[in-house]
Amino acid sequence: MGHTILERIIALQKRTSNIRNLCILAHVDHGKTTLADCLVASNGIISSRLAGKLRYLDSREDEQIRGITMKSSAISLHYTTGEDEYLINLIDSPGHVDFSSEVSTAVRLCDGAIVVVDAVEGVCPQTQVVLRQAWLENIRPVLVINKIDRLIVELKLTSQEAFTHLQKILEQVNAVTGTLFTSKVLEERAEKDTGAPSSCPENSNGDQVYDWSAGLEETDDSDLYFSPDRGNVVFASAIDGWGFRIHQFAEMYSQKMGIRSSVLLKTLWGDFYLNLKAKKIMKGAQSKGKKPLFVQLVLDNIWSLYDAVVTRRDKEKVEKMVTSLGLKVMARDLRHSDPKVLLSAICSQWLPVSQAVLSMVCEKLPSPAEMSSERVEKLMSVGVRRFDSLHEKTQELKKAFLDCSADGTAPVIVFVSKMFAVDPKSLPQNKQRPLTQEEIAQRRELARQRHAERQTTNQSAETPGSPDDGGASIPSTPATNSVTDTLCAQTEALSVKAAVEDESKEHFVAFARVYSGVIRKGQRVFVLGPKYDPSLALRTLPEGCSVADELPAIPHMACCTVDRLYLLMGRELDELDEVPSGNVLGIGGMEEFILKSATISTSPACPPFTPLNFEATPIVRVAIEPKHPSEMPKLVRGMKLLNQADPCAEVLIQETGEHVLVTAGEVHLQRCLDDLRERFAKIEISASEPIIPFRETIIRPPKVDMVNEEMGKQQKVAVIHQVKDDQSKYPEGIQVDSTGLVILTTPNKMATVRVRAIPLPEQVTRLLEDNVEVIRTMEQFSTFVREGKTLDINQKILENIQDFKVKLESHLQGHKWRGAVERIWAFGPRRCGPNILLNSIESYRRPSIWQCLDQEKERPETLTFRDFDNSIVSGFQLATLSGPMCEEPLMGVCFSIETWDMNFQKDLVDKEPSTDTQSGSSVDCYGPFSGQLIATVKEACRYAFQAQPQRLMAATYTCEIMATAEVLGRVYGVLSKREGRVLHEEMKEGTDMFIIKAVLPVAESFGFADEIRKRTSGLASPQLVFSHWEVISSDPLWVPTTEEEYLHFGEKADSSNQALKYMNAVRRRKGLYVDEKIVEHGEKQRTLGKNK
Amino acid sequence: MSIFTPTNQIRLTNVAVVRMKKGGKRFEIACYKNKVMSWRSGAEKDLDEVLQTNTVFVNVSKGQVAKKDDLSVAFGTEDLTEICKQILAKGELQVSDKERHSQLEQMFRDIATIVAEKCVNPETKRPYTVNLIERAMKDIHYSVKANKSTKQQALEVIKQLKESIQIQRAHMRLRFVLPAKDGKRLKEKLKTLIKVVESEDFDDQLEMVCLIDPGCFREIDELIRCETKGKGTLEVLSLKDVEEGDERLE
Repeated sequence: MGHTILERIIALQKRTSNIRNLCILAHVDHGKTTLADCLVASNGIISSRLAGKLRYLDSREDEQIRGITMKSSAISLHYTTGEDEYLINLIDSPGHVDFSSEVSTAVRLCDGAIVVVDAVEGVCPQTQVVLRQAWLENIRPVLVINKIDRLIVELKLTSQEAFTHLQKILEQVNAVTGTLFTSKVLEERAEKDTGAPSSCPENSNGDQVYDWSAGLEETDDSDLYFSPDRGNVVFASAIDGWGFRIHQFAEMYSQKMGIRSSVLLKTLWGDFYLNLKAKKIMKGAQSKGKKPLFVQLVLDNIWSLYDAVVTRRDKEKVEKMVTSLGLKVMARDLRHSDPKVLLSAICSQWLPVSQAVLSMVCEKLPSPAEMSSERVEKLMSVGVRRFDSLHEKTQELKKAFLDCSADGTAPVIVFVSKMFAVDPKSLPQNKQRPLTQEEIAQRRELARQRHAERQTTNQSAETPGSPDDGGASIPSTPATNSVTDTLCAQTEALSVKAAVEDESKEHFVAFARVYSGVIRKGQRVFVLGPKYDPSLALRTLPEGCSVADELPAIPHMACCTVDRLYLLMGRELDELDEVPSGNVLGIGGMEEFILKSATISTSPACPPFTPLNFEATPIVRVAIEPKHPSEMPKLVRGMKLLNQADPCAEVLIQETGEHVLVTAGEVHLQRCLDDLRERFAKIEISASEPIIPFRETIIRPPKVDMVNEEMGKQQKVAVIHQVKDDQSKYPEGIQVDSTGLVILTTPNKMATVRVRAIPLPEQVTRLLEDNVEVIRTMEQFSTFVREGKTLDINQKILENIQDFKVKLESHLQGHKWRGAVERIWAFGPRRCGPNILLNSIESYRRPSIWQCLDQEKERPETLTFRDFDNSIVSGFQLATLSGPMCEEPLMGVCFSIETWDMNFQKDLVDKEPSTDTQSGSSVDCYGPFSGQLIATVKEACRYAFQAQPQRLMAATYTCEIMATAEVLGRVYGVLSKREGRVLHEEMKEGTDMFIIKAVLPVAESFGFADEIRKRTSGLASPQLVFSHWEVISSDPLWVPTTEEEYLHFGEKADSSNQALKYMNAVRRRKGLYVDEKIVEHGEKQRTLGKNK
Repeated sequence: MSIFTPTNQIRLTNVAVVRMKKGGKRFEIACYKNKVMSWRSGAEKDLDEVLQTNTVFVNVSKGQVAKKDDLSVAFGTEDLTEICKQILAKGELQVSDKERHSQLEQMFRDIATIVAEKCVNPETKRPYTVNLIERAMKDIHYSVKANKSTKQQALEVIKQLKESIQIQRAHMRLRFVLPAKDGKRLKEKLKTLIKVVESEDFDDQLEMVCLIDPGCFREIDELIRCETKGKGTLEVLSLKDVEEGDERLE
């Protein structure tokens, strides 16, 4: 870019009232980037011939290949109208739903938005979303109806039809705005009702108050709507380079026809027609079958132009038209075989789109100085906090916002909405630039020196043989060499300088806007994180302190020096020294301080801006692994960088060791993976479905079978291989009775345990899960007591424990659980999980786990631990850590140890630890006794578990889906296909959106978001949050046993058994034995010999 | 005298022969390929899917059926199905490629799972995923031995993997309390077995929390039990020391 433009822009940056910050928003493929191209071309940055083809702002390679924008990028443009000069900071945003986070970052920095709508497709889902986003951020939109050429060329509509079509589109857009408005009014009213029920509406004044009856009617909403006669609508075809507002035509015709332009302006759009005889403009064109004014004066002209140029290629007519319009078209264009070239040559002169759009923008959109106080308050008040509740000093800053003064004294307030990675090569400081005179001189000097050095060394080398020189020359050579080296190094350092060291590092530039003051290079500023609390800082900081002082550490605040400031010019950056308020800019060197977004200020009183509201929350989860396991550290580093560079992506390491990337959608995921591969990690990676956790549990024996018949009444089908043979599951040496009591003896026959597994009530399981911390403290206490020490637990925790115990008692009712709470032996797995070991041994009374509660009371001496108490607990822990179904942890199971007999000589146990009988246990071929007992208890627990009806538990998401009424059926279809269950649905007040709440197994969630979006054409957007574990009702080990079941499910019955599918998938993944045949039918295999 | 020429060479298609020697005689049955292992593991319950025919042969490829007398002498029964079942359960057979493949694959997975369970990334203290271990095992070209236990092989794999990726056995966290005089004596011995001492408290008795390699556990256990005559206590705080919970990368 030329120097002159840069200088002009810098000059313009200071004139706040002539700045327009705006973004282009639309549904995907409605022509945002093409429009941006036209605007960029008007500034001479790209050729106007290439406008619409180049897509200048799509600087990424994959953006160009895929043809969609994936990031928001800014460019500063210069626009002159009459004597006024304007600086336009244009931000192009992506339209794809996956990148709506990028839209949020763009919208936040702007004061106005150009909403582009495709003339053929009309209002699309994403159009609604962007309108809502613009609405929520309180920025003013203007409308561009794009691709009108498609109405002519593709749909072949007549001008009359096109007019009605355009009217419809405008109505649709206004309808969306209308619903936004009504929902806001309703919301506000509801808020008022709940917030201040006592305050009478009469007391408060102003237009903010709505009473019940006339809420909607009273509020004036006419200035919200788009209407051509208000001048906030442009009709355009960005690809052909034309666009107009009706102002232009109104002026044109007012001269020609002698009607006042203000009259024309009002009548040009709408149901008016020209009565030629009366020379009057009359209402009711439609009812009288006349051509509306808009058709007659505007569309017909365009239609005839297209007809002449594109359809009929009538050279003479074209020439006539060109001369009548007073345009000059180059002969080259006239001769061109592609009519499009000629068309755009004519149109871009006749009705240049950039002119139409930019003039509208300058007229209709506010300058940064005109920010409404409502918006300021919204920006400054984080979360639910109201503006008035903020610190006084903070409230004072509001004035700074409103002034938007570029004064040096005003506090600097900058908001960073995202960080984006920049190729180090494209940074201005690394760019090749012409050398200055001095540098050339310096280089010459160095070269000369080097030359001289070389000559001297050569001379000394030439005369090595001379005896008198010999001694002197040898030591001198290395010295001269080193001098040459340093010289070389110097030169290199001059030319390449920092580029080398920077090459390896990824550079981040903060995408930001100055709201107040002037930000300068080298300035010290506060960087305030999103969770920063100004009132806290103001309390801790001394009065009147500044950034330069030594400051105490305050959470979420950092001090740093502004390293570099950039003017964002699409794919290029230009370095600046200072940026006054109201401008969009890039800040370099902030990657250490800012993660994703932040507020930069010179005043500690500045509140962090409200977090960006993202329309799409990240829900597509994948596990990422490097192709070569040794490249793990690179991957982690790359993922951290990615997290910083992408406002919407989340990365985390799971307990299983998986590195999980959460993205907004499949396209977003693809981009993130590409970024990881090519920029951040630079390694080969593979993405896969993340591991899905399961839990194993048991339930009470079901009363009905799979066909809802009562159990036990049917005749068992006498198919031998179908009948479950209970005893065959158990190896020898284990006795299981019909009630599920398991008796198992240690291999050396010294101890026998009887264990029974009992399902825990659901509330108990949940209670145990919620009180993990409490259990852990109790555990800690018991171990201390066992060693004869005491641990002081504070009152609060004791209360918690007491509370936990009471709740547990209240849930464990019934004779089966009598005294169970007192008899709890341990929790597991990991000593604090949702499973219980119960001590039901009559003769064994061990110290209770609740002993921390009754410290004061004297403990009876009889309660002592038996030997090997710990082994039993360890066995239980191991058993609960991995269940028999697929080695996943157990949940909600109670193991009750009924007896524990040690049938061996007493003295052996007593002496066993001592050295001489140690031989006794080591002679034992089964290893130490404690180990044997652990193994035995573990096995016993496992068999006891298996003796009960086993079930898998699946992790479930709660899923909230917003959908319009027409796609409701499809949403239900996708949900039921994926085993989801709808909890309830309700209509959102004031809109036509439904909110559906459902539960969905995590196992079915892979690809769910994508499927639902595809099936509903993007009209439904789900949000998934992990909620709880849910028992899968089907038995994974079930086989049909009754005649009805046999008839209903067939012999194998594997079609409907979801639990079996899950179980086998886990077993296969873990390399466990899967009960599957290698070949289904023996008959149906073919063996072809090798030598035949 | 048999002449082994292509014309009189009969090739059996889709037949797996299971042989058994009993009572000095050789008996064979004809089964479908890839089915015998399924039968033995219990996955296949339908005998007709396994057996081609329930005739017992002396030589399947020649079609020589075993004599009834021989059968009743060797097996003590004339029920052919019963005899077939016995031969199926105990006879020897050539394991087919599919069967072997699936068995090896299963073992490979099993080994990877065991390795993933036992090991952590020493930098992050987090486990590796099974997938990653599998890939690393393929990278070092580890071949599974069918006749060795998976646990044994897993330990071997860990050793080999240490050369290519950062991996180590997850440490066991132990806590032991020793009487003072034993503590002094044993401390040096124990120190050699301990990887990291997390806390050490020595007043009237020695109390230590430390991380050890799981391989040393038995040794330490033995040492403490023998040397302190049962006065020292040893407690396993956690079987493997790993980071718990999810971590957000920032």
